Amino acid sequence: MAVVAQRAPWSRRAKEIRRHTLIYVGLTPYLVIAVFPILWMLITALKQEPDLYRMDVVPFWFHLPPTLKNFEFLFQRTFYGDWLVNTLSISLFVSAITLLTAVPAGYALARLRLPFAENLGIAIFMTYLVPSIILFIPLSRVVSELGLQDTWWSLVVVYPTFTIPFCTWLLMGFFKTVPFEIEEAAMIDGCGQFGALLRVVLPVSWPGVITSVIFSFTLSMQDFLYSLAFVSISEQKPVPLGVATELIRGDVYFWGSLMAGALLVGVPVAIVYNLFLDKFITGITGAVIK
Amino acid sequence: MGHLASGGGRSPGASLSVPVGGRAKALPWWRTPSVRRYLFGYTLLAPAVLYVGVLVGAPFLFSLYLALSDASVGAPVARFVGLENFTSALETGVFWTAVRNTLVFTVGAAVMKGFLGTTLAFLLVQPFKGRRVVRGLVVIPFTIPIAISVLGWKWMFDSQFSVLNWALSGLGLIGEYGTPDWPVWLGQPMLALASVMFVNVWRSFPFSAIVLLAGMTSVSPEIIDAAKVDGATFMQRFRKIIVPMIAPILFVGAAFDTVFTLSDLSIVYLLTNGGPDGATEILPTLAYNTGIRGGALGRGAAISLFLFPLLLPAMVLLLRTLRRRQY
Repeated sequence: MAVVAQRAPWSRRAKEIRRHTLIYVGLTPYLVIAVFPILWMLITALKQEPDLYRMDVVPFWFHLPPTLKNFEFLFQRTFYGDWLVNTLSISLFVSAITLLTAVPAGYALARLRLPFAENLGIAIFMTYLVPSIILFIPLSRVVSELGLQDTWWSLVVVYPTFTIPFCTWLLMGFFKTVPFEIEEAAMIDGCGQFGALLRVVLPVSWPGVITSVIFSFTLSMQDFLYSLAFVSISEQKPVPLGVATELIRGDVYFWGSLMAGALLVGVPVAIVYNLFLDKFITGITGAVIK
Repeated sequence: MGHLASGGGRSPGASLSVPVGGRAKALPWWRTPSVRRYLFGYTLLAPAVLYVGVLVGAPFLFSLYLALSDASVGAPVARFVGLENFTSALETGVFWTAVRNTLVFTVGAAVMKGFLGTTLAFLLVQPFKGRRVVRGLVVIPFTIPIAISVLGWKWMFDSQFSVLNWALSGLGLIGEYGTPDWPVWLGQPMLALASVMFVNVWRSFPFSAIVLLAGMTSVSPEIIDAAKVDGATFMQRFRKIIVPMIAPILFVGAAFDTVFTLSDLSIVYLLTNGGPDGATEILPTLAYNTGIRGGALGRGAAISLFLFPLLLPAMVLLLRTLRRRQY
């Protein structure tokens, strides 16, 4: 009996180790598929030009010392600095427009028991699914009517078409979780309905507001078609478009600086989006990931 | 007492403005609490509804109009041409190639990411050490902007310096550079279509996995246990509890992914731009090249509208799921 009792924890541990090993082995191919392209981009961005074009040695590592030349090239020889500023400005303006419209809309849909609120909410959310490929041609007319052709301002006007629906929906969910009592208390204390929204509901809904700003940023950077269709002047492009179209001369690809320019924006966006991914999934499916 | 009589739903506006006795009757209708609440509410809604209406609703209708006209970038005045843009599109070979490729692309990619996503979700739902780190790494393809990661793939699919070919060649699975056994991923018709599909799968399978994971973890063990106690068999539990709880979540995920896959231009545009020889032409690239590059707005709009019947099932499914959802 004593021997069995001593052995039990051991075999349990062995079982745990075996289970973990199996899971890790199973996960390895997925991890390699998911992460390798990004790693490869990183290695490429840090390699010297001659090191990129060698097939006789293992390409996964450096055979000449790593360099930051590709990054320098971006800022000295291309409009990358402008693209960064454009991307940031676009995202800031889009966030502002989104907050100014989606916060009141989400609040009204969630809390004011308006007739048709449910259907209206769904209708707004559905517009998020009307893809840019159906809208970009008529919107190109709108953009040129507004005189915004070939400036990044055209994207400031257009991106809210998908950030407003998404963020309204997201904020609707957040506002529903704020207890009615605190609002009532504020109104008893003399706030109007609008005052209660500004002074009481918004301050406790700040996670929703921050999430909306994050998604205004990340969703704006996921776009390619609108920028491709509306902006063709080099200095006016946002980063994804600029990198994809300006670092290629005829048939010559500047792979090192292409990867450098792509990652410099792609990695921060991926990290931030990653942190808020559960909220994105909850926002669209209504399910909470545990 | 009015707020108590008004039922279970609670709203600060309704519950606070308690009309007392005769004074309620003295208020003109536009100042009654509920009308004031509606006014306030619709005023708050107006900016968002107007923005979306003017820049999504109106353009959508405008694209219907454009599709029926011979509008082009050069000529500001458009003539009504009826269904000519649609019929002339149907008569070109490249249109049918694009339709076929769009379907192959969407269905083929859906099967692959369904498989990868499901298997990955079953692995991720287990408790193990480092689960959060693994999840964070494995979703990178979905979170990095697609136009950016496609550039990495373009480099990996390079005709000569492809790192994939280097590895495959090292393993002896393909021949040397310069021989017919050396695959040129983006240069050979079948391989090119497979390549752009694979990049779409790479981008979306983490999303499928995470959505499925959300579905799996949303069924709480207590409910399953309660059903077991009540004597439900495994099949009953599966059909009556697990499927109805997970299905709406999966539908929404699938609808989202279908819309993205059908409408995404960046993968094909940046990797092959429809080539070689139309092998990867899909409706989005054809619409873009016709409408913006070729300047034939009307024809481009007509081609992009052909996507609508393909998108519709996804949107209807989503609509029905959302309307049934309880909040």
